[in-house]
Amino acid sequence: MSPDRSTDAPEPGSLGGPDDLDDETRTAVEAELRCLADDDFVVAERYTEWQVRGPTLEADIGIGNIAQDELGHARLWYDLLEDFGHDETDLVWEADPGDFRHATLVELPFETGDWADCVVRSYLYDHYEELRLEALRESSYPRIVDRVGKVLGEEPYHREHAENWLERLAEDAGGRRRLQEALDRLYPHALTLFEPTDQEDAIVALGIRREPLDVLREEWRAIVVPVLAGLGLEVPEGDDADLLPDARGRDGTHTDAWEPLFHEFTHTYHDLGREEAVSLMPDPDEADV
Amino acid sequence: MDVETVEARAGPREFGPGDDMPEEYRKAATRMIQFHANSEIMGAYLERPFIREAPSIDRKLAFSAKVQDEIGHGQLLYRAAEELGVKTREQMLDELARGEGKFLNCFHYPMERWEETPMIAFFVDGAAMRRQATLKRTSWEPYAHAMDKICFEEGFHIKHGESILRELMTGPRAVQERTQAAFEEWWPRILQFFGPTDDQSTHHDFSAAVGLKTMTNDALRQAFLNAYVPKARQYGLELPDEPRVYRDAETDRWVVEQDDLDWDEFWTVAKNDYDGSHVQIGKRERTQEAVEWVRDAIESPGQGGVTPAAADD
Repeated sequence: MSPDRSTDAPEPGSLGGPDDLDDETRTAVEAELRCLADDDFVVAERYTEWQVRGPTLEADIGIGNIAQDELGHARLWYDLLEDFGHDETDLVWEADPGDFRHATLVELPFETGDWADCVVRSYLYDHYEELRLEALRESSYPRIVDRVGKVLGEEPYHREHAENWLERLAEDAGGRRRLQEALDRLYPHALTLFEPTDQEDAIVALGIRREPLDVLREEWRAIVVPVLAGLGLEVPEGDDADLLPDARGRDGTHTDAWEPLFHEFTHTYHDLGREEAVSLMPDPDEADV
Repeated sequence: MDVETVEARAGPREFGPGDDMPEEYRKAATRMIQFHANSEIMGAYLERPFIREAPSIDRKLAFSAKVQDEIGHGQLLYRAAEELGVKTREQMLDELARGEGKFLNCFHYPMERWEETPMIAFFVDGAAMRRQATLKRTSWEPYAHAMDKICFEEGFHIKHGESILRELMTGPRAVQERTQAAFEEWWPRILQFFGPTDDQSTHHDFSAAVGLKTMTNDALRQAFLNAYVPKARQYGLELPDEPRVYRDAETDRWVVEQDDLDWDEFWTVAKNDYDGSHVQIGKRERTQEAVEWVRDAIESPGQGGVTPAAADD
């Protein structure tokens, strides 16, 4: 247990349902959910670019699986935001691009053929995600606790996929060079995964998440840095403050890659004159979550 | 086994990797299965951009799953073809990227708008389903076996395509009109899916004699039109005046006026020489070249890996 953990925070699952929350708590819960949902949604949006374009048929199928898992997770988190009167339309399709709170890591485009980027990105992301979700297992908000187990259950496969590819590419000098280039470019953006929203203090004080993000960041670094070093890769050095990109994602600022992506994935919705997003699957509360 | 014996024994799932098949059979089966596998890959190519376009999260999930399934089908089919011992999967994928691999006529045309997606996901997949269902009884067992899984998944794809079509045709009038326009553009290509009615296929006689094909293109076309003309009308789509397609009261069969279809274009497509063929194959070639370095790196890792080689790769 981390010394930073707020020991006065409410007990796991003790906050009650969506209608039991006061305004301050509700705002904090929404902020946490928005980050979880947007990260998963946008990372999946980018992963799908690799479908039919991966290095092997097996890689195609693997990345397709992971994209669908992440989209499924985004669906679960957006659904919890819907408890507060939102719907998929205002959360995604008719949102403003500045409403999104995903980290900049997940919005960056892939250069054609840059499989090393996909491998490094998913490695950095999957470790982050697992740590954040672990810190939500004992959340004071029971609706999160209900769903986090299912999401965590699918994460080991994602991590193994990334680690397996990382090791395979690092075997080869050319592959290792490409991994290094991707790491140099992506690492500063990976740090934005741990950037706080303006609700961070409340999220921790209210026990919505059991660990603050800066503690999770150190735990993450303790895992990924030695592994990457063991593969002959150098993690960029320097203070986080110097490494971090201008746009932080979590505060609604994004890189230049975000708005074009947002318009690409929302334009058919508008072009068809849609006013609602069609659901095809049962509501997660009715399905076997 | 000689060809006469093969013809005498030909029946559903009769032959497998344990049988000593004549070269003529192995080549014919390879040609047929390779075409099928290539079509899965090139179909997925056309549909992949629409994962991004999908106007809801569930629709996006369904599209991503469909594209992934098609790649899985390609994988299964290349394996079924490999077992004939004529070509390896790598050879077949190389041929596809080089523009030598043949694939379904409909996948040579660009697809640019959401309203076009059910033309493939409902009509073309529906046509393919007709053919695939008969291939569960093909004489090459690995092919028939692959078809069990493929047909099961295709059933979901067609429902997905039908549900997109229903949404479009119950949407705003302008969207319905755009969908009708997309239908008119795609309908002749869909009719050509089964080839010309006065069957010019040079492969059919042999393929039928050895049990690889179990139904003629003409019978498949009749079955498709029986099922899909009423469905198109049910969703409010109108068949264009041309090509003329009608039911002949005397024979109680569908007639497709062959002169109304562009067969020069069809045969150009069949040679991979249509403008769209160059575009689609070129995309495949470029994206495959862009990841060539990955295949090189994992197949023959060179120069100073710092970790011990993973034995279970």
